[in-house]
Amino acid sequence: MSPRLILLRFLRRWHARIGFAAVLFFLILAVTGFVLNHGSDLGLDAKYVHTAWLARWYGLKAEPPRQVFRSEHHDLVAANGRWLFDGRLSGEKFPQPVGLVELTDMVVVASDTALYVYREDGELIDRLERGALPGVPVHAIGSSARKLVLRTASGTFAGADALSWQPVPRQRVVWSTPAELSAAERQAYEEALEPGISVQQLLLDLHSGRFAGRYGPLVVDLLAVLLAVLSLSGAWLFLKPRHRRERH
Amino acid sequence: MPSRLRYGFSILAVALALSAAGLARGESYQEPEAFLAEVFGSKPAPKVFWLTKEIQAEASAILGHPPAQLRQRYWSDGRKSVWILEEMGKDELITAGFVVADARIDHVRVLVYRESRGGEVRRPSFLKQFHHARLAPGTRLDRDIDGIVGATLSVGAMERMARLALYFDRKSREQ
Repeated sequence: MSPRLILLRFLRRWHARIGFAAVLFFLILAVTGFVLNHGSDLGLDAKYVHTAWLARWYGLKAEPPRQVFRSEHHDLVAANGRWLFDGRLSGEKFPQPVGLVELTDMVVVASDTALYVYREDGELIDRLERGALPGVPVHAIGSSARKLVLRTASGTFAGADALSWQPVPRQRVVWSTPAELSAAERQAYEEALEPGISVQQLLLDLHSGRFAGRYGPLVVDLLAVLLAVLSLSGAWLFLKPRHRRERH
Repeated sequence: MPSRLRYGFSILAVALALSAAGLARGESYQEPEAFLAEVFGSKPAPKVFWLTKEIQAEASAILGHPPAQLRQRYWSDGRKSVWILEEMGKDELITAGFVVADARIDHVRVLVYRESRGGEVRRPSFLKQFHHARLAPGTRLDRDIDGIVGATLSVGAMERMARLALYFDRKSREQ
């Protein structure tokens, strides 16, 4: 048997073996790469996966909810950057709330640097940040004579519509204060407020191999080498017999 | 180590730390209050523009997603109105101020840019394309905005905000 034929058989055999062994990984790379390429159109960065095992895998320490802010008709529990406002999840990357106040036709939640103004049904009316506030950080939020009151580093201010503010004395203000959650409530809210990983991040980590830890990228590097070997051996297998036929 | 070299390294370390901090929290180029003061001379009281169902539907069509909130604050002296809007670039929100006068964009300023790439959209050479732009039928701009290589999504966000500012200005004058 000629050395060329031996090489051809060797390449054919190993081309098939490598292709079969890596088929699952190549499919993962192809699918994650394809989806990531359209990540913005699919809104992947705004979608989150919330599962306890995934959070543990990423080393995210779940912070159990401990307190609840309650007004006459509304409640707010927060943990892990997520808010559960009247049982409705508000999204991700939310700050720790300072308090909640219910006024006529609106509910206002304060963090130390922003106010979130909601309609009675939980629709966000407005988010006011540092420039629209009378002072930051906001230390406390309360109400007095149907007005919203903020206690800030620059003083205490009141406003009826959360747009214009006047300094007021601190007396006769009902401040929003948190209440402790019972053990049963804490357990129920803990599940709902699991920390999440964005789908975009998850796909990026799967694609780069980082999902598998520090050696994952090395495995992906090896796959890249195998893909190069497959391409070259495939090209050689495709071209070589043809060359021989052309010579005859 | 010679003191001059040590001094050089210190400056480099401080510059790196500052740039890292800037990337982490986004680059703030101008505070909204300063922008308003520049336009009006002083900061006027904000006005409120409520997004009715009809306006929400049109804003959704312009943005490609529902607007984040039901009311929009703006500032106006009767002729000029200022709209400070936020829109998602690739991964982060871009905050930009739009001055609208006589139903045309007078000028635009990027106030906060939080993305790690694509910050070229804040350059005057890009922003001057919006000068005197107005709404064409179908709430599109009356002109094409030239893109920037590597900042396609930020350019798209700026264009959407420009259309929204013109649309809000038009509707606020009808209300």
